[in-house]
Amino acid sequence: MSEVDSIQAPSPESGGWRQDFDLLKVISRFGVIITLLASILIFSILNDRFIEIDGIRTSLNLASPLLMLALGLTVVLAMGDFDLSVTGIQSAAGAIVVILIVNHDWSWLLAVFMGLLFCLVAGSINGLLVSYAGMPSFITTLATGLILIGTRYEAADGRNITGAKDLPAIYRDFGVGRPDPWLELHTPVWIAAGLAILMWLLMSRTEAGRYMYAIGGNPEAARLSGINVKALRALGFSAVGFMALFAAVTSTARTASSVADSGFSTLLGAYAAAFLGAAASKRTLFNVPGTVLGVIFLQAVDRGLILEGYSTGVRDIAKGCILLLAMAFTRIGASRQ
Amino acid sequence: MTATATAGLGPLLEVSGVTKRYPGVLAVDDVSLTLGTGQIVGLVGKNGAGKSTLIKIIAGAERADEGHLHLNGEPLELHRPHDATDAGLAFVHQDLQDVGDLSVAENVMMGLGYPRKMGMFVDWAKLYRLAAEPITRLEADIDPREPVGDLSVAKQRLVMIARGLAQQAQLLVLDEPSASLTDEEIEHLFAVVRRLRDDGITVVYVSHRLEEIFELTERVIVMRNGQLVADEPTESLDRSSLIAHITGHEHAQTAVERRASRGVGGRPDTEVVLEVEGISADTGVHNCSFDVRKGEILGVGGLMGSGRTEMVRAVFGADHRREGTVRVHGAEVSDKHPSESMAAGLALLPEDRKTQGNIMDFSVRHNITLASLDRHRARPQAPFPSGRSEKQAADRRIDRLSIATPHDRQLVRLLSGGNQQKVVIGKWLEQGADVLIFDEPTIGVDVDGKEEIYDIMEELADEGKAVVFISSEFSELVGVCHRVLVLHEGRIVGELEGDAVTEPAIVEICYSQH
Repeated sequence: MSEVDSIQAPSPESGGWRQDFDLLKVISRFGVIITLLASILIFSILNDRFIEIDGIRTSLNLASPLLMLALGLTVVLAMGDFDLSVTGIQSAAGAIVVILIVNHDWSWLLAVFMGLLFCLVAGSINGLLVSYAGMPSFITTLATGLILIGTRYEAADGRNITGAKDLPAIYRDFGVGRPDPWLELHTPVWIAAGLAILMWLLMSRTEAGRYMYAIGGNPEAARLSGINVKALRALGFSAVGFMALFAAVTSTARTASSVADSGFSTLLGAYAAAFLGAAASKRTLFNVPGTVLGVIFLQAVDRGLILEGYSTGVRDIAKGCILLLAMAFTRIGASRQ
Repeated sequence: MTATATAGLGPLLEVSGVTKRYPGVLAVDDVSLTLGTGQIVGLVGKNGAGKSTLIKIIAGAERADEGHLHLNGEPLELHRPHDATDAGLAFVHQDLQDVGDLSVAENVMMGLGYPRKMGMFVDWAKLYRLAAEPITRLEADIDPREPVGDLSVAKQRLVMIARGLAQQAQLLVLDEPSASLTDEEIEHLFAVVRRLRDDGITVVYVSHRLEEIFELTERVIVMRNGQLVADEPTESLDRSSLIAHITGHEHAQTAVERRASRGVGGRPDTEVVLEVEGISADTGVHNCSFDVRKGEILGVGGLMGSGRTEMVRAVFGADHRREGTVRVHGAEVSDKHPSESMAAGLALLPEDRKTQGNIMDFSVRHNITLASLDRHRARPQAPFPSGRSEKQAADRRIDRLSIATPHDRQLVRLLSGGNQQKVVIGKWLEQGADVLIFDEPTIGVDVDGKEEIYDIMEELADEGKAVVFISSEFSELVGVCHRVLVLHEGRIVGELEGDAVTEPAIVEICYSQH
């Protein structure tokens, strides 16, 4: 009786419910996408400016750092880990790069390289603590994230570090840049798109990606199948660090400063995007296209509400509701099994 | 409804004409039966025979499309699980449904409302006292204050039974209650069940282990394809007639017959593939040495907790070895990581296919190729799996092992136990291991599925693989093994070969160790 009673898991609904049952299935499978399309429709009816192409380009640009962070998170989440230090790494790396250029006259290339090194080391420390020392990822990265945020704060006495004059134009181009001649998108959008394709290839087309999902599904079965679980989990945290560098560079380049901010709302946004993406996928797995969709969804809602003149608070409430709704959709799917 | 309501007067539970359809499946087909008071009734049948659906209907977790239930002569309307509990029906499922962090007492009294002081605070002293009563009835040595999660599986099951007693249950359904219990614990469980029967409680005992059905029950109900195909006093049945009812086949082979008909004798006179020398491990393995030859099936017997699983895990390098060496084809294998053992040609098919063998949310295809993914590249230099190559491999294994799945993209979670086990086997065949260690491959697998797994092991041996087969059902070992090792407390205490491999001989060694 421990086994599923037949090959095809029977649905608990009897024949008469067939009609409703199919509707539920559609909602649970495509609920997130339907809600996204519905929101876009409503916002475009409410305000013509919502579908103005220039505004959309700016929106995509603003969302790019968020996507970079969310892509990193997708990797660790797929393996069943959390990384709450990602915005801490981003903020500290951004400060390092800006300080090295502005206060120490380093060349931007060298400064970014130092930032990269820092991000990889920070990510690897998380990986070592979680994967090799066996500490729980949630608490461990909460702790390392706090340490990084605190260090960033102390390093500049809690102030923003501005470099409008000192940051070279070439560096600042990473923040907005000249739009490309074809789609007229800004540089960060192209970087984010490139990273998304890279991560998509990694997660869904390589052996490593398959192993990562195997670890997320059952780490012990994965280990007994010869998969190096520890190394891959540790690598996931390094990937988060890698992505955080890109987010750090594009965001500091856009504002020409390193902002003293806990990054709390960015962190929640990145998680919301990854979870929305999982909710949108067929088997509720964390996946790169889903995460991209999640980021676009959140950004669209943000933009729509801004155009309607709503405040930050209202926007956060709306995003929270959307996340709850997405989870409700997947529960409809799960409760049928 | 109280327990004393109508003891002895008429039947306790009447099931009449119950039918349940799922899309494409007739799960329960016009089943009628009556249960009296104070009986132990075995309920057996293959996976998918409809046992669990029938129980879910009685438990109020599913609603029948047709048919009626009567309890003590009155119509029983079940709309939700709680109704069944209120009516005096209690269910102990195989996967424990207690709350691990809560105390024994809290679990026992769950659903009854905890006693209160001043209307709002839990009266702990009274709670512990109330919970202690059913536990004492079970003669279980359990402290009501202890968190349930700290108890052994056996004691957790007793806690669930105690919950049923606290709820004044008249009918207790035990679903595979002996799974992962030691023999001593099973004996205690049996004693408990008999005592409940003597107190007038009717116990429905669901198990794939036919030995237990014969030892414990007075009456056996057999289900097949959703229908009730036999309902007879246990004493009128023997093992082969019961298997015949379960499978629908005329005659079922006994282990001894199987051994004779297959001509299983002593170990083949071939080269040694696996050599294990003096291995010990912190998991309770002490100085074990043995070898396995090409084409040999080596059985490993012993009671639950005798260290069989721990021994083979140490051989495979799933756990670290404190001392000793393992050689495959003469070359020493390190215990650093399972991948090293795999490269040498070892494969471990773990005890629990759900938690260790398969990725349940992966498709059949992806499970089968998981241990050999680097051999399914589109181009040998680039680590990109080729879907076509993977599909070919999966289809080959599905065909060869007769895995019942609609297609290779089906999630393993949705397969039956026997087919899940075959997917694990398929994975290791695809990986190309020379030595396959099967740890309890037939647990929870129905009679037909078991036969298929024996056939597969024999075919593998005939092809020149070395097979190690761990089982708690000694008759299985007799049916297929050239040689059997018997373990006790992590040591190899006996070895039987050829004609000496008999069930009494294995049992004799197991029980002569104290």
